Amino acid sequence: MVRVKSRYLLCEVNVSDRSRLLLLDDRAVAAAVREAVTRIHGDYGAALCSSGFTVKYLNAHTGIVFLRLPKRSYRLLWSALPFISTIEARGQKVSCFLNCLHVGGTIRTCQKFLIQYNKQQLHRMLPKCKNPEEEQKIRRAILNCSVPGGNMEGLGDEEDDNDEEEEEEEEE
Amino acid sequence: MSAAKVKMRGKKMRNQPVSVQYPSSSAQNGGDTPNPERTKNPHQRGGWVRGHQKDGGGYTKEMPKHITAGSFASARAAEVQAMLKAVTKTTGSCHVYGALPKHMRRRSMSHNTKRLPRRLRDVANRMREKSLQAGSKKKKEQPKSKSRKARRRHGNLLLEFNRRQRKNMWLETHIWHAKRFHMVKKWGYCLGDRPTYKCYRPCYRAMSSHCLLQDLSYYCCIELQGEEDKLLACLSLLTSKETGPTFAAALSLSGRRQGSVVLYRAGQYPSQPLGPVTFLWRPRTQGTTHRQLWIWAHPTIKKDLLPELQTVCQCCEAVVPPVVPVVIPAGVVLTPEPESEKTPEAQQVTGTKRKRSGKDASVPPAKKILGDGTRSPTTPVTWKSSSTGIVINDLTLEIVRYRLIGPQSHSVLAETLEAATDCHEIDKSQSSPLWWPEHCKDENKMNLHQQQADVYHILKGIYSTGELPPGTVLGLTVDDPRVTLPTKKVKALPCVKQAQEVDEEKRKELMLQGVPEHCCQSYLWEQSVRDNVTDNKISEQDLNRMKSEVLVPGSRLSPIPLQGRVPILLVHQPGKQVGHEMSSWGAGWDLLLPKGWGMAFWVPLVYRGVRIGGLNMTLKHSQNKGVSHFPHDYPDCPAGVRFQEEQESELLDKFKRRPPAKRTNYIKHGCLAPFRCPWQQLAEEWELITREGESQTTTEADTVMEEEMTSHRDITVTKPQSHVTVLRNRKSLRLLSGWCKPTTSKGQRLCRVGEVPPLDRSAATSFLATHVMSLVWVRLSLLSKGKPEFHAMVCVPTAEDLQLLKKGSSSTGPQEPPHKDHFKSRIKRKKKGNKKTSTPSLLPKTDNKESDLPSTSEPNPTTSEDPKSSSQSTSDLIFGLWPDPLPSVTSHCSRVTLGWVTQGDFSLSAGCGEALGFVSVAGLLNTFVNQPMEHRGTLLLRNPTSLHYRFAKINIEV
Repeated sequence: MVRVKSRYLLCEVNVSDRSRLLLLDDRAVAAAVREAVTRIHGDYGAALCSSGFTVKYLNAHTGIVFLRLPKRSYRLLWSALPFISTIEARGQKVSCFLNCLHVGGTIRTCQKFLIQYNKQQLHRMLPKCKNPEEEQKIRRAILNCSVPGGNMEGLGDEEDDNDEEEEEEEEE
Repeated sequence: MSAAKVKMRGKKMRNQPVSVQYPSSSAQNGGDTPNPERTKNPHQRGGWVRGHQKDGGGYTKEMPKHITAGSFASARAAEVQAMLKAVTKTTGSCHVYGALPKHMRRRSMSHNTKRLPRRLRDVANRMREKSLQAGSKKKKEQPKSKSRKARRRHGNLLLEFNRRQRKNMWLETHIWHAKRFHMVKKWGYCLGDRPTYKCYRPCYRAMSSHCLLQDLSYYCCIELQGEEDKLLACLSLLTSKETGPTFAAALSLSGRRQGSVVLYRAGQYPSQPLGPVTFLWRPRTQGTTHRQLWIWAHPTIKKDLLPELQTVCQCCEAVVPPVVPVVIPAGVVLTPEPESEKTPEAQQVTGTKRKRSGKDASVPPAKKILGDGTRSPTTPVTWKSSSTGIVINDLTLEIVRYRLIGPQSHSVLAETLEAATDCHEIDKSQSSPLWWPEHCKDENKMNLHQQQADVYHILKGIYSTGELPPGTVLGLTVDDPRVTLPTKKVKALPCVKQAQEVDEEKRKELMLQGVPEHCCQSYLWEQSVRDNVTDNKISEQDLNRMKSEVLVPGSRLSPIPLQGRVPILLVHQPGKQVGHEMSSWGAGWDLLLPKGWGMAFWVPLVYRGVRIGGLNMTLKHSQNKGVSHFPHDYPDCPAGVRFQEEQESELLDKFKRRPPAKRTNYIKHGCLAPFRCPWQQLAEEWELITREGESQTTTEADTVMEEEMTSHRDITVTKPQSHVTVLRNRKSLRLLSGWCKPTTSKGQRLCRVGEVPPLDRSAATSFLATHVMSLVWVRLSLLSKGKPEFHAMVCVPTAEDLQLLKKGSSSTGPQEPPHKDHFKSRIKRKKKGNKKTSTPSLLPKTDNKESDLPSTSEPNPTTSEDPKSSSQSTSDLIFGLWPDPLPSVTSHCSRVTLGWVTQGDFSLSAGCGEALGFVSVAGLLNTFVNQPMEHRGTLLLRNPTSLHYRFAKINIEV
């Protein structure tokens, strides 16, 4: 079997106003990338974008995006990412830039990297806390994510062969 | 994507994180009107909505204005959680083994969970339990049976056999057959259908040159006892002289010959036949008019025959058989021991083993079931009449019947059986419980035995079995054939040397006159002797022990133990009697034995190099003989009708098991009923055609048909229903046979034709006056190549076809133009309609199409019916088969159909394809009248799966 190879970019959407981050959705991000590539590389770039490019994951709270690019042309497409300055989502323009954190051959490596990165972020946040309430929350968050399969509500006790996935939606 | 694929994908992706974002429906208000309450902690409100959900349900649709460090942290934590899950859990199958890297997986893990790493064991155990439960749901947990050794122990094996015999009767040779044959459950018996080894041709060769053996014990014997004139008076109601010799025929009445008749319901001739039976009278004894008659019938007839006999003879008082098995040691039927033994065992399941074995010892060992095991011991088998004094006795499975077919069957018999040796003087003096010593005391009886033995000795010198007068009977008493069992299988050959020794004149007399009357007497007729012989049979084990005690190993056991004298009856079976070639092919002997002795005679016979045939060989035998086989070829008998229905459902099931694309489309082949023959419809249609023909005197049958088809429906409704019958009147058959250009299958002319009146229109009309609804049994032999199959159509050739035949004898025959399958579109439409509910716009369209349906060639009644009922009929449409109300069967194809073939095959005896079947008498005569003299009797045959017609010659043999 021949595998279709691709590269996964783990990017961070940096915005000036963090609350506006919540406006984002994956289609908006995809459109913005496509638009930038077209602007920089013309029709050729747009054509490259048309196949094999998707936004695999977007977290509007943290601003983390997984982009999948075809391996053959990922460098070309990647080169257009810095030119994104605004993302138009829900009729509003969100000014931002994409910061690429990691390039992986599989989505798994990106996920692994993200875990590590997020943990690092949380650890950095901890000493900068202003009030004890906040500190408590962060401490709990760190605790939660450090224990693999830890007891976050509705997630940890998920059975392997359990077919109902609805509960997963209600995680905190 | 199909639902299954979606499900699979969902399963695969369930551990993968999904994008976390707000639903896009809130795009209008954006974050302008935030709800302060929700701003605080969106997550606790369940604010995260994954994927593109249409509406967020109870989730917030507005976005929070600002964020706090806590929410920021928890968002990160949640993300980490999701990622962790995605990374740690494998996407593939839900098996635990998937969690292991490939190089660490071992096959043994699936059986022994301890081979797994400890962290996976719990899950694996749980999964295993689950799968075990699912498995046990499907098949019930088998009760723990005994060990194989225990099961194979003789007593237990016997119990098991007895249990299994209770549903279907077993013949005595059942175990022997079950090891070598494909067994079928038929007519309440377990019968061998065909051997597991290839022996089609060897069996044919055995039938035509050596000997083929069959176990026919499943044939039911019904015994009638009473005064001769009363019996004959009663039985004459069931038969008719027109069909041939009846019960009263002088030769058979004397007991010298076996007779065969077709029975009808009392006084109903020629309608409502029951089926063919053979019968045997016991020879007269001096001074009494009390007679004994055995009627041998196929088990499917017995059900109808027995009540009929009871009403005819006014025998309704059932004589309850004695229940106590002690009085008659070998009980007429099953002894109650097995049941009584079963019950304590069943209760004692919890008891210890030792206890049970002690109990077993006290219970008398189970007896082998001899005779009918399915019947309860209290079922009456005897009926008496107070008015006529006739006693009817059901002797089913009381007498073993073996059939030896082939010219050498008499030499096989001669080699296997030896006339009983006299017993010693010492034995004669003292009284004995055995029957033979008692007989030896009587001088007359010994004289008779000596005469019978002489006749039997002459019999050995005969060249072929077929030389004897058909139906000859010989009574005999023979030694136990196990004593003379050869150590190796040998082929019995006629002893030419002996033939020279035997007096030539005596042999000639035997061949011409048959066995003298007094020699036909046998003690097999007597119930007491039969029971005595059955009870006192030496077991195989004892006999072997006695053999081993002989001083010279391998020498003959002498004197033969007194128990080993068995009365038997030898009944000659006629071979091919009809037709002019291969006459007396397939003649043979029937060997009648008392029950219990089946295997004792079977194995010695097998050791004489005979072939064993099953049910399908019986069919082939009758096919080669050119006689109709019961119940296949008796479409007017109740058993034949039942058989046809069974066969149809069986064939239909087989047909439906094929995928539609791989099925034969019988509609396209123009075959209306490939699985059954609508005889009734055929006869009715031909009756109509002849009636029309009389009124209009048009010569062309085809034009007549076209016209009558239009008026077909209403006439059939008004006409009183008369059932189709098979023509069995000998006179009419002879006349018909003379008309159909008496040729044999090879096309040779027969010399004597003169006596038949010439066939013309008036003769045909007068003949049809009585037999218009009849079918006639015909034999068709193909002129060129081709192998007819059953349910092939017999058709009338057109004038052009005959021209073609005249021009070149090598021409293979005309072709049927392929038909169109109108139902295909209907089935397709129905399928579509099933998928999406039928739209009203479609309906008028279908109506149009249906009105288009009636094609020019076939004015069929199905299409003329209103669309509603036709749409009703689409519910049971089967692709490739014509739905139920059949159109006109005669005129459906380009050649007019006369009848169908019931058996057809390449005949090894004739060397060409031969078919046996029925044609409508009316149709046949109509065809003959219209055919030119030189081609009279030439018909066409077409297999249901082919479009090719083949020329065939018709023969009606009487």
